[in-house]
Amino acid sequence: MSSPTEVQTGEGEPTPVRLQLTLFVSGAAPTSTHAVRRLRDLCDQHCPSGYDLEIVDIYQQPEVVASRGVLAVPTLIKELPLPVRVLIGDFTDEPRVLAALGLPTATQD
Amino acid sequence: MVTSNDVHDPGNRSGLELPKSPTGIAGFDEVSKGGLPTGRATLVSGPPGSGKSLFAVQFLVHGATRCAEPGVYLSFEGNRAKLTSDVRALGIDLDALEQDGRLLVDAQSMARQTVETGEFDLEALMVRMAFAVEKIGAKRVAIDSLESLFAAFGSRPDLVRSELLRLFSWLEDQALTAVITGERAEETLIRHSMEEFLSDCVVLLDHRVVDEVATRRLRILKYRGSTHGRNEYPFLIGPEGLEVLPITSLGLNQQVSSDRLSTGIAGLDEMLGGLGVFRASSILVSGTSGTGKTTIGASFASAACQRGETVLFFSFEESQSEILRNMASVSLDLAGWIERGLLHFYCERPTTLGLEDHLATMRRLVERVAPTLVVIDPVSSLSRGTSMNDVSAMLMRQIYYLKLAGITAVMTSLTEGGSDLERTELNISSLVDTWLLATTLQGSGERNRGLYVLKSRGMAHSNQIREFLLSSEGVSLVPVYMGPDGVLTGSARAAAEAVETDLGLGAEQESSQLSVAMELRRKAVETHVASLWADFEAGESLTARRIMETKKREHALRAARLEQGRQRTVKPEDDGP
Repeated sequence: MSSPTEVQTGEGEPTPVRLQLTLFVSGAAPTSTHAVRRLRDLCDQHCPSGYDLEIVDIYQQPEVVASRGVLAVPTLIKELPLPVRVLIGDFTDEPRVLAALGLPTATQD
Repeated sequence: MVTSNDVHDPGNRSGLELPKSPTGIAGFDEVSKGGLPTGRATLVSGPPGSGKSLFAVQFLVHGATRCAEPGVYLSFEGNRAKLTSDVRALGIDLDALEQDGRLLVDAQSMARQTVETGEFDLEALMVRMAFAVEKIGAKRVAIDSLESLFAAFGSRPDLVRSELLRLFSWLEDQALTAVITGERAEETLIRHSMEEFLSDCVVLLDHRVVDEVATRRLRILKYRGSTHGRNEYPFLIGPEGLEVLPITSLGLNQQVSSDRLSTGIAGLDEMLGGLGVFRASSILVSGTSGTGKTTIGASFASAACQRGETVLFFSFEESQSEILRNMASVSLDLAGWIERGLLHFYCERPTTLGLEDHLATMRRLVERVAPTLVVIDPVSSLSRGTSMNDVSAMLMRQIYYLKLAGITAVMTSLTEGGSDLERTELNISSLVDTWLLATTLQGSGERNRGLYVLKSRGMAHSNQIREFLLSSEGVSLVPVYMGPDGVLTGSARAAAEAVETDLGLGAEQESSQLSVAMELRRKAVETHVASLWADFEAGESLTARRIMETKKREHALRAARLEQGRQRTVKPEDDGP
């Protein structure tokens, strides 16, 4: 499963941009912790080029919530690579998450 | 014990009257008897472009600037720039208010393109609201609009609904006075059945086109625990934002002036106690077509210009050049006043704009020109495309506005032929101070103009109908002819006056003739008497002579007899003739 991605990177694609993610969650609520774990699992599996995940607790940083116009939790913003994509939900729909993040799905190989 | 009276008239529960937060929207606070329910949410519903956002912003700004109640404006449309520029047009600087910490605008939007990957809630919405409220210690909140929130989460209306419910109950817990805007759907007040959660106070805004003229309407659909005006009120978006125009909001506290102004028509001043009308009063000139209403209005204007005052003339039927030409024909030189910058014209077809826009324009012009006298010719044409009731309400407000500004208002009103003259269709007659009725007096195959003062508050005024003459020498009022045959005008008056003159002449002649005749007769009698006397005297002298002669004859006879007697004594046989 990891070999095709290694081949891709090994092929020397032009400077693969590291995935920059911002995730808005509501504190330590079980739904939030589950969502964080699910996202990390997905990225670990499908994102060989690595990723940066910034987790924003909406209760701790409400001004960031406002400045980004976030309404729903969990909300994941894919900052880079462009275009910016916004994902809402707890990442149970894996194919949609991967597609939105521009990651290859497991079924592709 | 609660009586049925308490239940049905919540407005009467003294001490229990709902606390209210004024909105600062001219007229709305009067209609709602104080504003929106404090600590509750109010739904402001209407189609796009009906002024919902403006309502919300005005409510917040009024709170921030006048009531020391900071406000939070939460929108989901990313429309901050538009909002700022919109309210700047109303003279409100949102940025400055924000810097002072009196207002917080959270109008940040998320990209519309979102991917749903599973379960979520809108806790971030709650957090944003709570954060903003806490940051500035807000007492007022506006959420604009529900529609955009439903649109952002189109696939989950139930979720949005339940989350909003949570938000509303939080607002209530925090005792925040809130305005929540929503679009009106065909059947329900707003889409997505939100009205059941927002039932404390519901305000409907409407923007409709009647007879091709756009008009705005506002109605308070419900107001739990409070009495309120139930009618549909016209409103306008003017230079100061929303303005609701209810009749009931007319206060009665204007300063009055006892300064008197000439009407420009000498005869009319005379009818109005010799001094004319009061300054800052409102004068209505009503009448059927062709009775000289515009001319009276122009006379007022010309007289004011003569005093060096500024006049604003609104014409809704004739163009400026038409009025100038027509008035020049009765020696009213308005063009001269325009050149000297004293007279300003505003001519507009009443149908080109909605009624509200007309009034807003009028108000703007009044503020710019700063006249002391305003002529509106005619107010009746403003009613086209709107119901009479609206026009009355708006005119009342306009009259009140002009009065407060110390501006004399001269309005003409066309009465439809055949309808009662002493009734204006606009029902503003009770509001005006002086009502002049221009009428036609018909008879002898003629139609003449008449004018009378139907009422004029605060002054002795004539009860007469005067004939109103328009000629190349100007405008004048002459007393009508009152004769045994009734009121006469025009040529009938002229004829009657002529007849009277003739009669007067005849009588004079006759009496002099009569006296001459009497003199002659007297002379004749005197002559007759003299001749009689002469006759008598003549007769008398004749009689005297005869008596003398008779006596002489008697003497002679007696003498003769004595002689005979003497002779008979000698010869007695000769006795007898």
